[in-house]
Amino acid sequence: MPQNRRDFLKTAGVAGAALTLSDLWLAPASAQSPRARSGPWRTWGTDALKQARALGCTYADIRFGRKRSQALNVRNGQLTSAGGFSFGGFGATPGGGVSDTYGFGVRVIHSGVWGFASSPIVAPDEIRRVVQQATDIARASAMAKRFDVKLAPVPAYDEFYETPHERDPFEVPLEEKLAILTEATSEIQKNKQILFATAQVSFSHDWKFLVTSEGSFIEQSLYYCSCGTSATARTKGQVKTRIYTPGASTAGYEFLVKADLKGNAERVAAEAVEHSMAAPVSAGLKDLVLKPSHLALTIHEIIAHPTELDRIVGYEANYAGTSFVKLSDLKKLKYGSPLLNVYADRTHVGGCGTVGFDDDGVKAQRWPIIQDGILVGLQTNRETAHYMGETESRGCTFANHWRNYPFLRMPNIQMQPGKPGSPTLEQMIADVKDGVLVEGSGSFSIDQQRYNGQFGGNAFWEIKNGKVTRMVTDFTYNAITTDFWANLDAVGPPESWEHHGMDGDAKGQPVQSNYPSHGSSPCLIRKVMVGAAFS
Amino acid sequence: MSYSREEVKAITDKILNMAKADAVEVDFQGGERSATRYANSSITANLIEHDQQVNITVYYGQKSASTVTHQFDDASLKTAIEEAQALARRKPDNPETMPLVKPPQNYVPVEAVIDRTANFGPAERAAMVKKSLDICEKKGVVGAGYIPKLHWTQATANSEGLFSYFRYAEASLILTCRTPDGTGSGWAGQTGLKDVSQIDPVAITERAADKALKSQKPRAIEPGDYTVILEPRPAARFLSLLLTSMDARSAEEGRSFMSGKERGQTKVGEKLFGDNVTIKSVINHPVLRQSPIGEDGLAAQDVTWVEKGVVKNLYYSRYWAQKTGKQPTATQPGLSLVMDGGTTSVEEMIKTTKRGLLVSFFWYMRPVEQMSILYTGMTRDGLFLIENGEITAPVQNFRWNETPVVGLNNISALGPPEPMHTGEAYDQPGTAMIPAMRIEDFTMTSVSPAV
Repeated sequence: MPQNRRDFLKTAGVAGAALTLSDLWLAPASAQSPRARSGPWRTWGTDALKQARALGCTYADIRFGRKRSQALNVRNGQLTSAGGFSFGGFGATPGGGVSDTYGFGVRVIHSGVWGFASSPIVAPDEIRRVVQQATDIARASAMAKRFDVKLAPVPAYDEFYETPHERDPFEVPLEEKLAILTEATSEIQKNKQILFATAQVSFSHDWKFLVTSEGSFIEQSLYYCSCGTSATARTKGQVKTRIYTPGASTAGYEFLVKADLKGNAERVAAEAVEHSMAAPVSAGLKDLVLKPSHLALTIHEIIAHPTELDRIVGYEANYAGTSFVKLSDLKKLKYGSPLLNVYADRTHVGGCGTVGFDDDGVKAQRWPIIQDGILVGLQTNRETAHYMGETESRGCTFANHWRNYPFLRMPNIQMQPGKPGSPTLEQMIADVKDGVLVEGSGSFSIDQQRYNGQFGGNAFWEIKNGKVTRMVTDFTYNAITTDFWANLDAVGPPESWEHHGMDGDAKGQPVQSNYPSHGSSPCLIRKVMVGAAFS
Repeated sequence: MSYSREEVKAITDKILNMAKADAVEVDFQGGERSATRYANSSITANLIEHDQQVNITVYYGQKSASTVTHQFDDASLKTAIEEAQALARRKPDNPETMPLVKPPQNYVPVEAVIDRTANFGPAERAAMVKKSLDICEKKGVVGAGYIPKLHWTQATANSEGLFSYFRYAEASLILTCRTPDGTGSGWAGQTGLKDVSQIDPVAITERAADKALKSQKPRAIEPGDYTVILEPRPAARFLSLLLTSMDARSAEEGRSFMSGKERGQTKVGEKLFGDNVTIKSVINHPVLRQSPIGEDGLAAQDVTWVEKGVVKNLYYSRYWAQKTGKQPTATQPGLSLVMDGGTTSVEEMIKTTKRGLLVSFFWYMRPVEQMSILYTGMTRDGLFLIENGEITAPVQNFRWNETPVVGLNNISALGPPEPMHTGEAYDQPGTAMIPAMRIEDFTMTSVSPAV
């Protein structure tokens, strides 16, 4: 038997040792016939955990994964490998080709410390080598430990979860996908003042099979799609890009079809031109009417991140940062006005952070974060739950790839809509004397404890005396988190609620990108400082 | 885990032989990415990731398509090649398709693997962590650090007979120390070192711990324009903002700061920065020792981007160079980047500053307006007020809104260049030779109580 990877590779690759990827993926999986029921992974996983136990590990899991991704970028009607505006991409190489990656990661606790190792060579010998390597790493790490890892208990599951979807994007002919994108850019280019137009779509499919020493066998098949268009206009040296993006979603090909890129093209082009000719917004305190497409990022930065428990206790101190929220703030901190209600949700259909289970094998759930303006909950995983005295994990452990180690990642963090009959967008505008209506994501920056944020957007309209008057430019606003939400004066009704997927959220070392969604209704925030970046 | 030249060539040759197209290109990447992360004075992650992939691009005239696979068995390669071929045949012609790069390419020989760095393993990293944590304990601070190591191989081969191969190993230690009461934070680090023995965990920990202790209980001062002394880490991040505008195509299409008055014109030849600003790419720089391979396998060459404030070159991709009748640059602006420095140490800069700020770290820099390269960001992990040549107090962090166009015109002192990563994260190559900089009239726009 080969003893290391090099010897192993020299024996004509994995084909001689195991079933190849091609062999294993001849038939699509379904809820009735999940792949792991018939494939070899269950046996391989069980054997790996036996080995880990024999090596003295107190916990072990093995996560097999296959990730396929495809990104199409069209610029002025031409498929290009150089993307225009990025709409995520899920790790795909632009240009239409499919990136196909398959491998496994092993996580163990030995001597009270984590060890992790991964490999793209999925075969029994290599699995044995990687289990041994992960164990050796944990053992070596113990010399610097100050405390043992403590995991909250979790029941054992033997389940299959698949993203609800109508059509597998990888089964759709290239021509059909391209037609949607090229039609959209052609429509944008009908406006002769447009410098260039782009349209993008990214698809991804993650297959995961998790086997844990707690007795779980969890298979998941997760589909993601993101898409959008952009129009760039230049007028007298002012270059502005207007973006239309319905965001990202756990969904199949149908998400692209429903996005109606072509139907929004004329408006996007006209607004790009108008924006390139717009006057700068005047600086000062203003009321802001924020649409859900804009609020998604604000919620992400100043609610979702500060309520991640690993940040609060210092795990991210060297990179993403800590948090202004302290453990002692629970049930006490006035996060915002009584209109502010926020919950975490791994179950929302279409949410980018929606799954059946996390990578600790914890079932997806929904729980409150802020109720009537008061902080009541945090995001936890098995490793961090004990910090807040909880005995169960909220299910927030994720790796973005089989290659990477899993750690605490945010779920969909959603702002609840107002009650039926709450002010509509039009009524909010009518209630503003001097303000700005903001749509889409733009510039964003936030300090390492999430106090001080500066946000832009993609399109801005001046509001004077209850009416939208004109488009403006050079818009940013500054927010100190709790002051900003304290000034929340209206939240739109349930029928105005939308969720928007993020293009990527970097955290961790080595850094990993995550794709949560954040939903809200339009909101009215009073007295926000506008324009400091340009003053 | 490493891939020898022969092993990689065997894989790329196999793919080139299997593919049936007018032209084929294979980009190989593979190796080991390892890391040890610690926080709350204990290891939170220690890992070894092994990965490998080939990006296979096939061409039929002006049509092309790529697929990526991480499996190198015959069946998986065949599937990937056939997918690329089927996709390419169905794609429309791409007028931007370029012919393959032909051999021979005269790559500058770069030796970038030192055995002790290549073999730097989890036990040695844990020992480094222990050394660091013992100092943190002694000084009464909480350490959170990161030790990434890359031992990576990249190669490009094509059906014209080109084969380029580059292997490197590098490591870093990046550390943030915080005081237990959460009122002080300090950063120190060394990045992108080809020789791991140059990492000094004791010096780094002492520096980060001292900064944390000295930065406790910062006071708020008014926003405004300040003289700032940027240590090499924030200087590297600030300089990196300029690189986003060095692309010739964006400039000639009229959508970047480097655009000229008319479409198709650029600002090459114009003096845009101070006399003390010279920025180059130096292939086979003795410290950086970065890849000598440029776009599509072209040999990377030394490039002077800015000389004494005058823009000398922009980056021309192969396609844009052909379209505009120029030579392709081959070297990306961030590759083997060197900014000329001076002889003024940070201590001397402090002594000769009447009123200013000493900046340890810049964080969360994001674009605000592209045509002026206006960015916003935060200070972090140690910000100190300087008055009459002395550090007088720790101060609360600032949000800034500034552009390198202004900043690089207002440099009043430069230190000797040292290796420092230019990116937000440290997981990819991106270390450059960067001096500490003193910049006048740097715009701080609001205060943050964040520590």
